[in-house]
Amino acid sequence: MDIVLSFYQGLLVVLEPQNLIYCFIGVLLGTFIGVLPGIGSMAAISMILPLSFSLEPTSALVMIAGVYYGAEYGGSIASILMNIPGTPAASITAIEGYPLAKKGRAGVALFSTTAASFGGGMIGMIVIAVLSPSLAQLALSFGPADYFAVILLGLIAASVVSNGGALRGIAMVMTGLMLGTIGIDLTTGDLRFTMGIPELRDGVHIVIVAMGLFGVSELIASIRSNATGKAMQAIDYNDFYPSRAEWKSLFGPILRGSTIGSFFGALPGTGQTIAAAIAYAIEKRINPLRKKFGTGVVPGVAVPEAANNSATQTAFVPTMTLGVPGSPPMAIIIGALMIYGITPGPRLLTEEPDLFWGLVASFLVGNIMLVILNIPLIGIWVRLLQIPYKYMYPTIIVLICIGVYSLNNNVFDIWLTLIIGAVGYLMRLYRFEPAPLLLGFVLGPLMEEQLRRSMLLSRGDPMVFLERPISATLLAITLAILIFATVTTLRGYRLQRNMKRQNQTRQEGMNP
Amino acid sequence: MEKGKPDRTPELQDISTTDASAPAEGKVPSRSGIVGGLFLIGLSLIFIIGGFDLGLGIPTRLGTGAFPVITGLVVLTLSVFIFFDEIKGKGIAERPDWIGFVAILAAIGVFGLSAERFGLVPAAFLAVIIASLPDRSLPIIGKILLAIFVSAVSWLLFIELLNLPFKPVTVF
Repeated sequence: MDIVLSFYQGLLVVLEPQNLIYCFIGVLLGTFIGVLPGIGSMAAISMILPLSFSLEPTSALVMIAGVYYGAEYGGSIASILMNIPGTPAASITAIEGYPLAKKGRAGVALFSTTAASFGGGMIGMIVIAVLSPSLAQLALSFGPADYFAVILLGLIAASVVSNGGALRGIAMVMTGLMLGTIGIDLTTGDLRFTMGIPELRDGVHIVIVAMGLFGVSELIASIRSNATGKAMQAIDYNDFYPSRAEWKSLFGPILRGSTIGSFFGALPGTGQTIAAAIAYAIEKRINPLRKKFGTGVVPGVAVPEAANNSATQTAFVPTMTLGVPGSPPMAIIIGALMIYGITPGPRLLTEEPDLFWGLVASFLVGNIMLVILNIPLIGIWVRLLQIPYKYMYPTIIVLICIGVYSLNNNVFDIWLTLIIGAVGYLMRLYRFEPAPLLLGFVLGPLMEEQLRRSMLLSRGDPMVFLERPISATLLAITLAILIFATVTTLRGYRLQRNMKRQNQTRQEGMNP
Repeated sequence: MEKGKPDRTPELQDISTTDASAPAEGKVPSRSGIVGGLFLIGLSLIFIIGGFDLGLGIPTRLGTGAFPVITGLVVLTLSVFIFFDEIKGKGIAERPDWIGFVAILAAIGVFGLSAERFGLVPAAFLAVIIASLPDRSLPIIGKILLAIFVSAVSWLLFIELLNLPFKPVTVF
C-alpha cells in the first residue's frame, strides 16, 4: 500500500507542468539521438547534461532519464529500417526487425517494438517501485567495507563483458579509478596530479570525460559510416498494426523479455545490450516459432526490445538505492546528482522521496509520451533518417562545444574535451572500451573513501573485508566472475592455437 | 557493412570474432595492444611514482598517494599482460578515419580559440565549415549556408533564449 501511495505522490510531482515539459523534452531528445545511427545514449546524456544544470534536481533527473530510455525507443527505428542499430542494444532488434522490413512488414515491426518497449518499460517500473524500498532498507545496514565490495563487484561485472575482452575491460576500469584521483583529495585536501593547472583542482568534470570519450569519438566514427546513403525499407502504413494472431504471439515474449531484462538491468554493471542478447537467445530456444527465428518473426523483435527497455528502467535500482550504477549511462547520472549535492544511496528514498518517486512515476508518463511519439508520429522520425548526415554532424559538434563551454564558462574545458576526444577515438580504434573507464572514473573517489573508512574502522586490518558477511559474499562473487573470465579467456587462446596448428598442418599437407 | 548481413550484427561480430579469424569488412589488422599496453604502462608508472611522492600513509590512515599506487599497480600488471597478449597474436580493429579525426578535432580547437576572442557566431560558423570539410558531397556554398544557419540558430537558442554567457560577436 505504501508503494502505491508513494507512487501516487510521485505522479503528482511529475504532473506539475514544468516537470511534464522536461520529461517531454527528454524523451524527444532521446528518441532523436537514438534514431541517429552511431550515437548512443552515453553521448546523448552527456550532451544534455550542461543544459540540465540550471534546472531543479527533479526536473533535471526526469529529463536525463527520459533521454536514456527514449534513446532505446529511437534506436530500434534505424535498426529495423536500415539494419544500422541506433544504439548498441538495438543491434539485437535488427536480427528479426530488418528481415521483417525487407518482407514489407516494417510497420508491423515498428509497432511491435513500440508495444514491447512500453510493456518492458512498465514491468521495469513496477520492479523498481517494489524492489527499491526493500533494497534500500537492506543497504542501510551496509558498512564501508560492504560498500567497497559492492562497488568492486559492479565495476568488475561491468568490465568483464566489455567488447574488447575481459582483460582490457578490467584494465580500463582500473585506469578510470586511477584517473579519478586527479584533483583535490577530499579527505586530506592535498592536490594530486594537477600538474600545476588550476582548472584541474576540482578534477575533470564528468561531462567533459563523457563528451570526449563518447560524444566526440562516436561523432568521428559515425561520419564515414553514415556518409553513404543506405537503402531504407519503406513502411506500408496500411499494414502497420499486427494481426490478431500476431498480437497474441507478442504477450509471452514481452513478459519473458521483460523479466530477463529486469533481472539483468538490476544487476550492477550489466547493461541493456546483454539483457537483450540473453533474452533473444533464450526466446530462440523456447518460442513456438523458434524454427523461423532469423527470418523475421514478430516475437523475435519484441523480445529484445522488451528486455532492453525493462533493463533501462531497472538499472536505476542499484543506482538510486546503493549509489552503484546499473549501467554505464547510470554512472553519468550519479555524477550529475552529485553535482546537485545529492548522493544516491539508501537514504535517498527517505530523504528525497519526491525525487525518487517522481522519477519512478515519470517512467509511466515518459513511456506513454514515447508511444505517442513512436506510433502516430513515426513518419517524422523516418523523415529525420532521410536528412543527410553531412548536415547533422557539423551541427552536433557545435552543440558539444557550446555545452562544454557553458559548464564553467572556461575555454580550458574545450581543450580538455579535445584531448579526451582524441584519446577516446584512439581507444575505439585500439579496442579499449571507454564505458568501463568512465564507470571507474565516477566511482573512484567514492571507492577510495569507503576503503579509507573501512581501514580506519578496522584499525588498519585488511581482514575486515573478509570478516563481514556481506562484503565477504560480494567479494566471493567478484572472485568467481574473475575466475570465470580468466578460464574463458584462456580457453579462447587454446582454441585459437589449435586452429592455427590445424591450419599449418593442413597447409603442410597440401604443399609437401 | 553495405551488404547488410541480417543474421550477424556489428555488435555480435565484435564479441564472436576472435583474433584468429580474418578481419571483417571495415576492419583492419592491428597490433593495438602493443601501443595501448605501452601507453598504459607509462601512465600507471606516473601514478605509482607520483603516489609514492604524495605519501602512502599508514594502514589505519591511508595517505593521499595510497589509492593511486594501489590502482596504478593493478593497471601496470594488467597492461603488461595486454602487451604480451598482442605480441603473440594479431588483433583486428576498426578502420581509422584520420581525415574525420583531424577535421572534428580542428573544429573543436578553432571553436575554443575563437569563442571568447570573436564571439559565438564566428566560432560556430568556423567550426561548422571545418567539420564539414571532409564531406566532398556538400559543395562549398552548401557548407557556408549550413554554417550561417547553425550560427544563427545557436545565437537565437543559446544567447537570446537560454541566456548562456556568450557574446554573439565581439567587436575589436
